[in-house]
Amino acid sequence: MALFARRDRKAAPGADEALGLFLFDAVNDALAAERALKAAGYEVSLVAPPPHLRAGCDLSIALPRVEQVGAEREIVGAGVHIRDWVADVEGTAEVCDLVTTVDFGQWLMVRAGNMKIVVEKATGVIVNTSGGGCPDIPYLNLELVGKRLHEVPRPKDLGYTLCGLMLDRAYVEVRSQLETAAQGGDA
Amino acid sequence: MTLLVVATYPVAGGTVLEGRVTIESDGAVAIGGTRVPSSQGTSAMLGAAAQVAAHLGTSAPYALVAGDIGRGDGTRAVYERLLDAVTRVRPSVVAFHYMQPVMALMRKAVDGLAEAAPGALLVADAGGMYAAKAAGLASRFELMTPDVGEVGFLADPSVTHPAYVSRYLFGNDGFDPVMLAASAHETGGSARVLLIKGARDHITLDGRVAEVVDEPCVPELEAIGGTGDTVAGLASAFLAAGFPTVDAARCACLANREAGRVMGATPAMHASDLVAALPGVLASELCGWSGVCVA
Repeated sequence: MALFARRDRKAAPGADEALGLFLFDAVNDALAAERALKAAGYEVSLVAPPPHLRAGCDLSIALPRVEQVGAEREIVGAGVHIRDWVADVEGTAEVCDLVTTVDFGQWLMVRAGNMKIVVEKATGVIVNTSGGGCPDIPYLNLELVGKRLHEVPRPKDLGYTLCGLMLDRAYVEVRSQLETAAQGGDA
Repeated sequence: MTLLVVATYPVAGGTVLEGRVTIESDGAVAIGGTRVPSSQGTSAMLGAAAQVAAHLGTSAPYALVAGDIGRGDGTRAVYERLLDAVTRVRPSVVAFHYMQPVMALMRKAVDGLAEAAPGALLVADAGGMYAAKAAGLASRFELMTPDVGEVGFLADPSVTHPAYVSRYLFGNDGFDPVMLAASAHETGGSARVLLIKGARDHITLDGRVAEVVDEPCVPELEAIGGTGDTVAGLASAFLAAGFPTVDAARCACLANREAGRVMGATPAMHASDLVAALPGVLASELCGWSGVCVA
């Protein structure tokens, strides 16, 4: 096997491996790095850095330490700037995974954490987005509202912050629920 | 008695705008005569605050904003100009709203305000609130306006963004805003007054419940982007008009709910619809709610 060959790992990262963290200056850098690594076959997870390494709206990537060199090359090759590598994940936190739904009859609202998206069931038109407090949220509101779910880019591809990432989770869920309903299942 | 709002508007590379807030004939919000996009966020907050000032005959809110779509460039631009604006405007209330939550910038701003405007009351919502809490500065604020998904963030000293709050804190599974407000107060994650926006609005003072507002009940308001921002704008404007903070928060909750009822809120309506309903609501109800009556 070539030393720097592309990896094709399938197991969840960190089950019994020592993990490290790539740190970034911006959330969208972390998201771009995640895309590059997943496209290259790496299994990674997005987590909050430990408290002493946080500057505010942070996101980092955890993966087995042994994969640092190859993964770093993938990230740099994708044009993403890495702030630092830390060989210790103690104190990291997972992004909230709580998703809830409110049925307003004609409209369906999905919350992911404190982010919300509201869609008209019959048309799939996004009628509202709300929650959060980062500056990309009003921007995403302008970009998404009034358009159909399948016509817009995913919020995590348009946004830049953790709020945008959470809105993406709501987007994925509402799209899944409406597609299930269209196929004859329960929304 | 001026409210200064420090925030961003959703235009990539948008220049710094500074000036009095006005509402144009078509409902658009303008800052120093320049219109900003109508969406959830700071335009909704400013629109509501401007309606309060117009009703009471007080100074229109003053805004310092810059374009920012999440990269933090506009946020840094407004922080750079903040103390200069404060020196000229002499605000009685400074409200931080949609901003990139950068702890270091918030620390510098709050320290600077302590010298430049020592009597000003500090308000935080949205990213301004995230930065203030994460930087350990929450207790230096007079008012914060979290929703039910954010009060758990204030109560958890280990997190720097609501996205990392443990799931049991997010509005179900034993969710208790009263307990969380007390915990936030004890751990330094709370302003003196919290306005916790939800199906029932809780207003706490030093960690204890001072008011609960739950009528009229308009569930559709939760679905409308920006209706939390209008609450923050209303409360900030009432505070700048001299209302005691708990009264400012209570009147904000009542006015927002009543506007939702009057406009016949549906999940497809927008915050601008609520802002447009406020003049009538304030004219008919504020005197009875507050004892502050305008001839």
